[in-house]
Amino acid sequence: MWRVHGLSVPGYRHRRDGVPCQDAWAHRQSGSAQVLAVADGAGSRPRSDEGARLAVELATEHFSRWTWANAGAPAAARTVRMELQITFRELRAAFLKQVGDTPGDFATTLTVVVLTPEWLGHLSVGDGFVVLRAGTSEEGEPQFHALPRPAAPGEYGNETVFVTSPGAEEWVHTDCVQDRGISGVLLSTDGLAQAALSTRPPGPNTSFVSAVLRSLDEPGPDPVRDTEALTDLLTSDRLTALNADDKTLLRAVRT
Amino acid sequence: MHEQHPRTLPVQYSDIEFENNAQRLPLVLCLDTSSSMNGRPIDTLNEALDSWTHELQHDVGLSYSVEVAVITFGGHGVRAWQGPNPLQPDTRVSPFVPAHAFRAPRFTASGVTLLTEALELAMQIVAARKTELRAAGLQYYRPQICLVTDGLPTDGTGHYTESWRRVVPVLGDEQLARRFRLYAIGVGGITDQGEAVLRELAPKFNARLQGFPFKELLQMMSASASAEQKGAGDEVFEKIFSQFRTQRPAWES
Repeated sequence: MWRVHGLSVPGYRHRRDGVPCQDAWAHRQSGSAQVLAVADGAGSRPRSDEGARLAVELATEHFSRWTWANAGAPAAARTVRMELQITFRELRAAFLKQVGDTPGDFATTLTVVVLTPEWLGHLSVGDGFVVLRAGTSEEGEPQFHALPRPAAPGEYGNETVFVTSPGAEEWVHTDCVQDRGISGVLLSTDGLAQAALSTRPPGPNTSFVSAVLRSLDEPGPDPVRDTEALTDLLTSDRLTALNADDKTLLRAVRT
Repeated sequence: MHEQHPRTLPVQYSDIEFENNAQRLPLVLCLDTSSSMNGRPIDTLNEALDSWTHELQHDVGLSYSVEVAVITFGGHGVRAWQGPNPLQPDTRVSPFVPAHAFRAPRFTASGVTLLTEALELAMQIVAARKTELRAAGLQYYRPQICLVTDGLPTDGTGHYTESWRRVVPVLGDEQLARRFRLYAIGVGGITDQGEAVLRELAPKFNARLQGFPFKELLQMMSASASAEQKGAGDEVFEKIFSQFRTQRPAWES
């Protein structure tokens, strides 16, 4: 069993200017599988908040449909990755059909995790990221692992690929992790990349990831208060100083 | 260097440790401090830079991202400043200072207008800073260079020189390759010829302004920095600049 919690908060400038959050997240249980999705609407596009919401809705719908039939059985990593690609193409086609003639207005990234008892599938287009908690060190400390991210398309940190970008299928990154010991999963948009990922050496910022998974491992008596504390963290000046963008945190821990 | 961060974490998360790994936005102020700026103009520039520094430090979205370097061209030739301290020529020390730690230099006006050499130094420090950031594994936004002058480019003896023409193709290539954004602003009594030079240097973002509106100019740079962080398209930068050219602080809306 998994406990899942998601939260998106508007970034500093969006809060100041009264602009809605352009991030979105969604979660759906599909038999014994969990489908988790986060999306980051492009800051410069007028309807990217709608694009982000549509992307995560379609992701949970399409990937749930697929996992319903496949979740219980072991699968070759190559098969999982191929199925992730095929399902992405289907959901992208559905996305483009729904947004009509100006898809660029709805530009959004998309990061999806399909979590089954046997394997974890990961698909990402754009600059979202995923960190796993799995295994322990010799000292018994939990170990954290950042999944590889898609290659950046340009020199600058604010350049990325969107679901709506021409040739987005070519930029999709997929992974399959076959590890029954995964005990925690964190998905996020790039607004938390500086907080949750370390520069040197490249990898997760263990103190951040362990703290936000711990608070879901051991929830307080009042879920509203837990969410408030997490909101305070994500909107704190300390995190804003690292990145002023909208922030999304979707967590799942094994119970 | 001051590296304290705001500490406002909820108690449940107070044990989280963070790196100083915000995406960087290098910003170069390339400022004319030649003798024609003497008196009220240089005083206005000093006051505006002080006030902007204060505003920048209080903008939590920019203060850990923007890195400021200053280059002057005037009495001491072309000079790079690391905050309030002038750097020796040919030093390997980077003039870039994080905005939250930046302290404004205090300028005096004298000497000639070595604009060409100042722009060349600006391009050089931007390229060097990118190399440093990449080596440190840090991401960065497209740098901004802001050239401000009230006169014509001169040589070391104070005579007009056509040497600025040698940087035009280089600047054109660099801007086409999106290596930085160059803003070229003429202030005070800049002539038609001076304005024409700026137009050649920065075809997209040039302006000739009445008086010495340094405050508005620096606020425009902050607005552009915010737009850069949001990944705004070129049309947004053009709008911000167009509003600045007409000296309406409309970007605030």
